[in-house]
Amino acid sequence: MIRETAVLVERELKKWVGRRGSFFISLVTPMAWLALFGKSLNFVNMFSATGVQAINTAIVKQYVDQTLLRLFGTTDYFSYLTTGMLVVFAFFQAVFGGVNIVFEKRLGSMNRLRMTPAPRSSIFFAKMVATLIRTFFYETVLLVIAIALGFSLHFNALNLVEAGVAIALLSISFISMFEAVGFSVDNQEIMFSIVNLVNLPLMFASPALFPLSQMPSWLQDIAKFNPITYTVDIVRYNLLGLHSFNIVEDWAILLGVAVVFVTIGMAVSLRVLENY
Amino acid sequence: MVTLLSEVSIDVRGLTKRYGSLLAVDHVSFKVYRGEIYSLLGPNGAGKTTTISMLATLRMPTEGDAFVEGYSIVRERTKVRKVIGVVPQDLTADDELTGFDNVLLMAKLHGYRGKEAEERAWDAIKFMELEDAAKRRVMYYSGGMRRRLEIAMSIVHDPKVLFLDEPTVGLDVQSRRHIWDLVRALKKEGVTIILTTHYMEEAEELSDRVAIIDHGHIVAEGTPEDLKAKVKGDRIYVKLKNDAEVAKALEVLSREFNDVKEIDGHVVIKVESSAEAMPQIIKLLSNFNVAELRVVRPNLEEVFLELTGHGLREEESFDAFKFRRLMRAVRS
Repeated sequence: MIRETAVLVERELKKWVGRRGSFFISLVTPMAWLALFGKSLNFVNMFSATGVQAINTAIVKQYVDQTLLRLFGTTDYFSYLTTGMLVVFAFFQAVFGGVNIVFEKRLGSMNRLRMTPAPRSSIFFAKMVATLIRTFFYETVLLVIAIALGFSLHFNALNLVEAGVAIALLSISFISMFEAVGFSVDNQEIMFSIVNLVNLPLMFASPALFPLSQMPSWLQDIAKFNPITYTVDIVRYNLLGLHSFNIVEDWAILLGVAVVFVTIGMAVSLRVLENY
Repeated sequence: MVTLLSEVSIDVRGLTKRYGSLLAVDHVSFKVYRGEIYSLLGPNGAGKTTTISMLATLRMPTEGDAFVEGYSIVRERTKVRKVIGVVPQDLTADDELTGFDNVLLMAKLHGYRGKEAEERAWDAIKFMELEDAAKRRVMYYSGGMRRRLEIAMSIVHDPKVLFLDEPTVGLDVQSRRHIWDLVRALKKEGVTIILTTHYMEEAEELSDRVAIIDHGHIVAEGTPEDLKAKVKGDRIYVKLKNDAEVAKALEVLSREFNDVKEIDGHVVIKVESSAEAMPQIIKLLSNFNVAELRVVRPNLEEVFLELTGHGLREEESFDAFKFRRLMRAVRS
């Protein structure tokens, strides 16, 4: 099973690198996110009217810093946002990972794999591993750019590994679920509507961009059912030293989610693969 | 004919596939012997592809079973997959990869490694005469090359049984003949071949035996000669300029000939010898506006008509997305 999975992962990666256009577009995307989104939210400028600034810049800055500290727990909103973006980017890659399954099914190349004696599970895991490799390639790029743009560096190698593991757990959870969706759906338009139904709402109903404490309580309640919330908490704790929940509980929830999502996603995918 | 059990390659027993209320394949049974080319001939929607998909373990039968080289397609699916090659109707090769990479992937998924996998891939590519294009990406292949690549991908592991689903649909005459030659060469290698087609020339040209399939049933089975013997004599097709006159023509002709029918808007007269009957037919039709008069010698299409009362080429439902892509690929 592992050998067949490796063969299929190689195929996916060959196609990924071969598609030069989309390879570079995907490379530019995280840069654009950080550079534009992260740096455009410059709170010092936002809060300081020209008149006020003329009177006393120092006082304005002090006021803004206090506000940021109260809202985000740090005056460094760029680093705050970057940690959220690292998680959200992986999440987006995961939910879009199932889209090409729909195409491969319709075009017949999935059938071609189904004709071989390769275990059906190797087809499922190959998609997962390939998406994971792509995701972490882009995550690395994202992190390097963030550091170049002034991301705070108060973490050690172990922190980085822990953050990576948390992101990987979130990834495999959503990759599995969206593989199941991809295998179950026959039409790419339906697939895209399902992807769009979850991606933005789940991003906003999480502390990726703004702290939960600033959200209305009903949204906070929704966010508590969102795995992104706990992933962001772990990543932010490891990279910035900030957290809103108990970290051990975060890990327990995230692990639980991964076990349940992978089990369901795999069961559905394998059933479709055996007979569709 | 006495046949030893070991000579049977495929043994289909009451195979049935139901989609909701639609019975796509209805208790079909047949045997295919080692080394023969066996064709399922029928119009689109007759159940040919569904039958092949079940035999190739791509779909699970609702009822019944079949044994491919002794393995049950219901209970021993992985074992079946090891001994078969399948060339589906769709173009399944990955067009972002080269032809060689596509064939190599198949070799590896069948368990071959390193050098051996590469050698096998080259052998299959040479057999299908694709050496020159092997290192090109599949998106630049012509329709005939793509078909041959599909076959190369399906024979890289030396299957004992090869399924070909409409192997020449959409191809020009030259590419079609080329593929027929390669299929015959595979038969010489001892591969058992089961193919589906709605081209009667294809079934006649290639098959040792043909099963005529319609609405999920096998309506006749035998060698092309046996089947053609079922329709004795010639048929004369008469197309009238005015369709309203068909009933009248039927009546007039029936007075002199005992087998006159209307099929798809034509008046069809079956006679022992068209040369002898023709003068009389022309005389009888002198008061009609005849648009076309055609004599057809016995062929498999005639057998099909005789048995089912309708033609082989019918309106089909299709996946427009897939069809457009297929046509684009075949044309380029």
